[in-house]
Amino acid sequence: MIQSRRSRWGNALTYAAAIPLAAFFLIPVIWLLSLALRTPAEVFLGAARLVPEEPTLANFRQVLTDGGFRLYLWNSVKLAFLGAAGAVACAAPASYAFSRMSFRGKPALMMGILAVQMVSGLVILIPLYRWMDRLGLLETHAGTTLLYVSAGIPVTVWLLKTTFDGVPRELEEAAAIDGLGRFETFLRITLPLAAPGVASALILNVILNWSQFLIPFVMLSETAKWPISVAIFNYAGATNATTTQLLAAACLVAVVPTLIIFVALQRLIVGALTAGAVKG
Amino acid sequence: MIARAARRRTATPPPAGGGPVPARPLPWLLPVLLFVGLFYLWPIVDALRLAFTDASLLDRDAAFSTEAIGAMLGSPALGTVLRNTAIFTLGSVVGQILLGLAIALLVVRGERNGLRGMLVMRTLVLAAWVIPGIANGIIWQMLFSEAPFGAINSALRLAGLPPVAWLSDPGNAMMSAIIATVWQGTAYSMILLYAALRSIDDTLYEAAAVDAATPWERFRFITLPELRGALLVNAILIVIMTLNTFDVIISLTGGGPGRATEVLALFTYNTVFYNFDLAGGSVLSILLMAISLALAALVAAFLPRAGRR
Repeated sequence: MIQSRRSRWGNALTYAAAIPLAAFFLIPVIWLLSLALRTPAEVFLGAARLVPEEPTLANFRQVLTDGGFRLYLWNSVKLAFLGAAGAVACAAPASYAFSRMSFRGKPALMMGILAVQMVSGLVILIPLYRWMDRLGLLETHAGTTLLYVSAGIPVTVWLLKTTFDGVPRELEEAAAIDGLGRFETFLRITLPLAAPGVASALILNVILNWSQFLIPFVMLSETAKWPISVAIFNYAGATNATTTQLLAAACLVAVVPTLIIFVALQRLIVGALTAGAVKG
Repeated sequence: MIARAARRRTATPPPAGGGPVPARPLPWLLPVLLFVGLFYLWPIVDALRLAFTDASLLDRDAAFSTEAIGAMLGSPALGTVLRNTAIFTLGSVVGQILLGLAIALLVVRGERNGLRGMLVMRTLVLAAWVIPGIANGIIWQMLFSEAPFGAINSALRLAGLPPVAWLSDPGNAMMSAIIATVWQGTAYSMILLYAALRSIDDTLYEAAAVDAATPWERFRFITLPELRGALLVNAILIVIMTLNTFDVIISLTGGGPGRATEVLALFTYNTVFYNFDLAGGSVLSILLMAISLALAALVAAFLPRAGRR
């Protein structure tokens, strides 16, 4: 009896702490939505008009048509997916080797790959800017994609190694007996079995690439090539108090795609993050 | 030994599949090695080289010079920037770890007692992490805005309270930047600590129940020691992430007012891409890397030795 009363108190306390915390995380997004749906007149009413009396979609219409945000969205989709696919394609064979083969220097190499992830993008981008310029890759999506791939590789190698570790070897051995070569075994047996892990690595890369700002900001100065992160940054610099509702709409357009992907595939993503975390 | 090595070399074709196989890993590793070499290692070496030149972003020829190093390390702005970086990193990291730990504890406790809404809580926190840093800065600027329609100030006015200079006062601007960073980054700490909490052996708590330990004792003597590894790994990762990113700051305050929120990463960016001072920027970027490594090594020194896991 005492025990259950105590846990009821505990439950009440849990909620008492959880509700303000949830509000802290929710309110900024609610506010963004509220502003994006308002007319300019209602924007000036501030918090008094959290729920707009005359909600409008005109802001979204204007941002998507006149603001060029459809193009920016497309650029973001292109860069995010190409970068993610490239990172997974490069990392997968290496992760397989780390998972299945034993060779000299393996632990050092794996730690090295973990370590380079800690190097600031700035250190790398400063010299790379000159190389990209000389190679004619500045201002191109090809050059930008290469940088997205390299930014994604370290995390992806580790994620996929954990995934391959979880695939039983017996099936590969059976495939070997059937005369399949090592690379064929990897492509036709291991990869399909590891599909959920590969998919979550891909999605995680897409989400990280969608947030990427520094690389495209440095690489691309032509408006038509910008991904949405760079576009909203410049849009924010060009807007003023009378166009706050447009900036809010643009911001929401930038945020919603990854939010949808995330909420829909939360279990996969959380699984990937925690698998990496527990293994260290 | 030699015989074994010889046998290994002649063992072609290799029996594919699992087991201790003579491995030829190079072709498998090649793409990753190329990327790491070309896009990480070589640029680092090049940045070191550039630091000893007078290179600018605009011309291609650069001569040996140690002027940039002297100019940057002697720059009067650097002291302010380093102080900002220290406050921003410390505030953000401590905030993210404490809030992340608190939420992870709440969610785990809620789940254990079958409380509803815990998945929603976890989703809300993680959703903030998915939002791009630039958008994060813009969203918080709308919240902190000192115009009549700023969310927080107009709410304060409704409550009859005076407005606060969230972004135009230097001290407040730093606090605002930290709040926005914590809002976004807490998710990462939460999910790492959540996973670590869930993997703690239940029998430890059962033993504590037998000993009639109080909740605080359970936390202090079981939960915290068990979380030590996860907390330290988490600390290393977010210290480095916080030091190296400036997208929240650039879109929230732009480093201002004055230099009040200009951290080292943003200062480095400005040096290269606004002042076109490639050599100076290289010096700063190496300083940034050195600080990251030093802090990571410092935290790692507290890690339990391998083999415990």
